[in-house]
Order: sequence, then structure tokens, then C-alpha cells
Amino acid sequence: MKRVIILIMISMFIASTAFAAGQARRNTGCGLGTMLFKDSADDKWLLQALQATTNGTFGNQTFGITTGTSECERATKIASNERLNQFVADNMDNLAKDIAMGQGEALDTLAELMGVSAEERPGFYSKLQANFSNIFTSPDVQAAQVLDNIVTIYSRG
Amino acid sequence: MFRRGVILIMLLLIFLSAVAQAGEEEYLQNLLKEAEEKALHRDRYWHVLLHYKKTFFGIESLIDDPNFFISPSGKKDPESELLETIKTFFKGYNDEGSDTRCRFPARYKWLKERLAIDETMLPGSRCSELEKFLEALNPQSATLVFPSAYMNSPASMFGHTLIRIDGKYQSKLISYAINYAANTGDEGGVSYLIKGLFGFFKGYFSILPYYEKIEEYNDLDMRDMWEYELNLSEDEVMRMVLHIWELKDIYSFYYFFDENCSYNLLFLIEAARPEVNLTDEFGQWVVPSDTLKAVIGKGLVKAVTYRPSRSTRIRHWATFLSPKDKKLAADIASGVVSPSSVIDESLERQGKIIVLDIAAELTQHRFMRRDIDKETYQKRFLSILNIRKDLGKQDSEILNIPQPPRPEEGHSSSMVSIGAGTKDNKAYQLTGFRPAYHDLADRDDGFQKGSVIIFGGIELRYYPDDKRAFLNRLDIIDIVSLSVRDEFFKPISWKVYTGFRRETLYDEKEHLIYSLNPGFGFAGKVLGGIYYVFIEADLQIGHGFGHDYTFGAGSSAGIIKDFTNWWKFLLSSRFMYHPMGDSNRLYALEMKNNFSITKDHALRLNFLRTKSYSQYSTDINLLWNIYF
Repeated sequence: MKRVIILIMISMFIASTAFAAGQARRNTGCGLGTMLFKDSADDKWLLQALQATTNGTFGNQTFGITTGTSECERATKIASNERLNQFVADNMDNLAKDIAMGQGEALDTLAELMGVSAEERPGFYSKLQANFSNIFTSPDVQAAQVLDNIVTIYSRG
Repeated sequence: MFRRGVILIMLLLIFLSAVAQAGEEEYLQNLLKEAEEKALHRDRYWHVLLHYKKTFFGIESLIDDPNFFISPSGKKDPESELLETIKTFFKGYNDEGSDTRCRFPARYKWLKERLAIDETMLPGSRCSELEKFLEALNPQSATLVFPSAYMNSPASMFGHTLIRIDGKYQSKLISYAINYAANTGDEGGVSYLIKGLFGFFKGYFSILPYYEKIEEYNDLDMRDMWEYELNLSEDEVMRMVLHIWELKDIYSFYYFFDENCSYNLLFLIEAARPEVNLTDEFGQWVVPSDTLKAVIGKGLVKAVTYRPSRSTRIRHWATFLSPKDKKLAADIASGVVSPSSVIDESLERQGKIIVLDIAAELTQHRFMRRDIDKETYQKRFLSILNIRKDLGKQDSEILNIPQPPRPEEGHSSSMVSIGAGTKDNKAYQLTGFRPAYHDLADRDDGFQKGSVIIFGGIELRYYPDDKRAFLNRLDIIDIVSLSVRDEFFKPISWKVYTGFRRETLYDEKEHLIYSLNPGFGFAGKVLGGIYYVFIEADLQIGHGFGHDYTFGAGSSAGIIKDFTNWWKFLLSSRFMYHPMGDSNRLYALEMKNNFSITKDHALRLNFLRTKSYSQYSTDINLLWNIYF
């Protein structure tokens, strides 16, 4: 009993001083799953009390005003709109969710960036929802393809 | 003849340019004189733009980066900095990175206005990078954003603040977020803690699309966000943005307690509206929610928006589901059950939608936490959405998340206590002071439920019979994070305490001892309240011990319940076995009642019964807690 207790105590003190620094990282890519992540192990470490005392930045967050720095391919069926391309590439997952749900902030943003008027939007959203599987054609579909598919459906009228 | 003509023309040109230079030089001298006469270096706005603050020795800028100053003595000399800045306007630059008019546009704009500078007298200047920046931001309005507390990182326990610059778009996702943070690199361990506390990290401003900050706070850290739209005019927002540009790639040393994320943002608001003084309102302790309260107090806020986190959304939607359907949602997210099985469920359409919406969000969550790999995620996520798309739109009354009390509606962050009690039939008077911030028995409005964050709490007791006063406790750090486990989330709860306490030891006398007491466990919902169970270790050191220390482990459990919105109740028990040093078995039973009178006043009734070193002890007191 005494040995077990001592073992617990020692491991707790080690756990409270040692830890993995759980910095968030960004997945690279231009398809679904390009998002921030943390290793789940970070969250399972005991006592993260010492983990971070400052609001640390991850990667090199600087003045990220992106104009043409995206590594992803551009959509071909729409006039060059860097902001739209960037938004779709960075928000693929939430956009997929919103399109399947027929509403949401990512979908509103897409419509605004595409210049879809407020009156047109309800019809636009239902049409996208109905065509979900024609937009997100496969699990590894890329952002440029998604945007082209959306544009195709939109312009079909 | 021809040659003579050329020489003449050249002489004429040299003469003219000399005249022009003399004219520029004279104009510069006039401007410098005027700046001196108007004492612009003492102007409030100059001090805002350069982040000058009075110190014990004089005036000093809080910015530490030498690149921020034009004069070598600029950090401590507002006058020299001002004059040198004006002089550089007359220098011709080849690259806009060095051109002070491009590099420090807020200074230039202000000086141009105050001195009515005639731009035709200055050499040409073109700031294409600044123009691109302004075009991308297209600043129309500004919003102060407060992501609420995140218990799993001490840096974020008090919340955080950032500023969002809104452009012409309706959608706020594509606005830009201005964030001040320490650049910590891959640093870890104790050195991280020390560097953070004592300012060895460099803090920088950064700009990112707002959707990335939502992803970080709402989705990854699962923190609710609050957006306070500021009532700044377009001109004021432009001044703020110009100042943000001045801070590009400029560092200040980051201090966790005062010169932190929230404090540095206040300069941006002052740069927009210098009549408002925010940065002088804070001393050695800057809590993000307090800066928020200060900004609201100055009448700067015109509208508030709530942005619930992913876990808040999931948990709210789950309230519409039966336990069986909650399990179904979790199973779909785990890949145990196929999403198409929802279709056969005897559920209303809205219920089916909820199950799939939760499953989709939970799948994203699992992937973010690296519980599943990317390929599995992509397939599972898409297969859920492919069923979901056929069910139409969810009703807005289910989608909309009820708004909890706002951060500024919580009690103030410091507290004093006065009261009286009796310990083992001896009466005492009690005085306490807690600089920050919240404990389990305090009312939770505006705070993280189930959290304790105490820094430097102190409690003094006076025994009138003995005419003696004692330091009863000094809580250096006391942190508890109770994270409720449910069908969807399985977080670990943890605690850490370090501080001094007066305790009765084996010699039946009270001694001041030091205690280090970490623990971990889990928490859940029960009877409309929260229960928790911890395994703990405790190292105690003091001269009062026979062996100078005692070391042990044990467990504790408790329940917290709000009976009404003004009556909060806590019941806990604890057993600790100390085999090393002075051996002891501690049994404790504790009960606390908190009666809120107003936001900043509460009555607290505490009861503690212990058995330690084979002696029983009972301590009861009644306190009046005043938050300020």
C-alpha cells in the first residue's frame, strides 16, 4: 500500500512539472481537413498548469494580408477573385457543412463574395444543398474543383 | 558658343537646386520651431502613438524595439523623437520600407495636420505596401472581441481580447483580426513559465482573417466568443489602422500580468480616439475582462454579439435529444454506426437533423484533436453530410443558442472579505483580500462554471480572547478546472494549489506550513449540479513538523449546485494518507453556501470539519464578500 501511494505521489509530481508543449499547428492541403489541430495527447496530459503562461503564437502569425500567396490552385470558371479562392480553400469543411445544412455563415460569405444578391440567396442555397454530392464529389476533392462546381451549378440558373 | 551655353544652364540648375534646398531647409527649421512652440512632444496624441508612459525616472515608451524609434534616444525622449521624425520627412528615400512617411503613417498624418505641412515642399514619396494593406482592410468599423476563459492554459484563464477591423463586407468571417501575442517559438517547460512572467518573450501584433481566429478559439479551444462593436467613426478606425501598421514587426517584451495582450490593445483604441484614456487605468494587474469593462465604461460599445463555441452548440442541440439519440450521434461520429441509420429512426425530421449536425461537428472536433486521421475524417465527414443534405433546413429556434450572462456582467475581479467565526469554540474575526479572480463558490455569471483561479489570496484572523492575530492562509496559486464529461466530450479535470496555511499539527499546536497540492480527476453532471472526483498528492513543509515535512496522496470528491440564481451550495469530502515525513491521516468534510446579494456583494457561510493527527476540529464562519 505504502509503495503504491509513493509511486502515485512521485508520478503526480513528475506529471505536474513535465509536459508536452501543446502548440496548435495547421494541416496543409487544399481539400477537406485543412484546419488547425492539436495532438490529442496534449489534452490528456495531467496538469497543464505550467503549459503556457503567455498567449503564444503558433507558426509565424504576422501581417497575413493574403493576396495571391495561396498554394492552392485557382478556380477556372470564375473571374479571378483572390479573396473568394482563399476563403473556399481555408473554409472547405465549414462550407461543406453549411451547404449540406442549407444555411450558415460560411455559406453567406460565399454568396457575398460571389456577388449573389440577397433575393437570390434562398434559391441559391437550396440548389447547392440539392447538389451537395455534385459539389463535394469525393472525400479528397480540392478547393478549386469545389468552387468550379459551385459556379457551374449557380450559372445553370 | 554651344559649350558655354551648356555650362550656363548647368550653373543655373545648380543655383536653382541650391535655392530650393535652402528653401526646404528653412521650411524644415520653421516646422521644428513651430513644433517646439506648440510643445507637440507633450501632446497626448504623441504619447499615445509612441506608447509613452510616466515612470519613476521620467518618461519611457513601453515599446522595446529600437526600430520603432527614429531618434537613438527616442524611447525615453519624446521631444528628440518628435524633432527627428519631422526631419526625416525631408529626406528622400529610395525604398518605402525606410521612408518614415510610409513606415509611420499615423505620426505623419497627425504632424501634417498639427503643423499644416505643405506636402509640395517634401520630396516625393509613394507607399504602395501601405496602400495595399489599406485596400485589403478597407476599414469601416472596429470590434473588440473577447474569447472567454480557456482553463487548459494559464495564459488564457482570464480570457483574451483582440480587435477585429470590419470592412465593407456584411460577412464578418472575412474581416481581419488584430492580435497581440508573445512569440514563444518551441519553448516549453518551466523556462516557458518564467519567461512569460518576467517578460523575456517578445510580443508582436499580428493580423489574420477573422475566420482563422474563430477556428482557433471557437472550434479548437472550444471557447465562447463575445464581440463588442465599437462606436468609432470611419476616421477614427482609419487612425487605429494606421497605428496598427506602425506596429508591424515591432516588439515589446511581453509580461503576463500587465503588459499583456489586453493592455496593448488599449493603445489601438486610444490611437483611434485619444480623448479616451484607458491605458492609465490599470496598474500591475491587467485582466482581460477588466479592460473590456473599462472600454464599455467609457461608452465605446454600441452592440454585442455572442458567438458560441462548437462544444456549446453541440451541448445545446443535445438538450433536444433523448439519451438514446445522443448516443446515436456520438456513435456516428465515432464511425461505429453508419449515418444512414438515422433515416430509419423513429424521430421527427428536426431530431434527425440534430443527430447528424452533432455528428458532423463532433467528427470535425475529433479530427482537430487528432483522434482520427485525415483520410478517415474526410470519408466520415462527407458520408454524414451526404445523408444530412436530404433533410432540408433546421428550424431557427433550435439552431439559435441562448445567450449566457456576458463577461462584463460577472462580479468584479478583486475581492475583500470581512466576517467572524469560531474554530473549536474559540471566536475569531476574519479579514481577507483576493486580488484575483474567482472560486468555486462565487456566482458563475460571466465566468467559467466549475473553475477556480486565485492568485495571491490572503486571510488574516484575530482571536479577541487571546488578543492575537495570525496569517491563516496565503494562497499563492489556487487553480481548479472542472470540465464536465458527457456523451461527446471526455476532458480531464485538474487542480493545483500552492501556498501557506495555518494548520494544527501532531503537537496540537497551530503552525504555518507550506503546501504544494496537485491533483487530477473527472467531473460530470448530477442532480442539476456538477460533481467531481480527484486523486491528489500533497507535499507540506514547515518547521512545525517533526520531520520538517509530510508527503502523501489521497482523493477528494464534491458536488456543486445552484439552488437558485442567488444561492450556491458546495459539499466536499477529502481523505489524504501521508506515509512520508510526519505520518498522518486527514479526513475532511466541507460545506459552503454562497448567497449573492448583488453582482458585487455576497454572504458566505463556511463549515469545515476535520480529523487530522487524530484530533477533531470544527471551523464555522460567516463572511461578507465585496468584489471590486
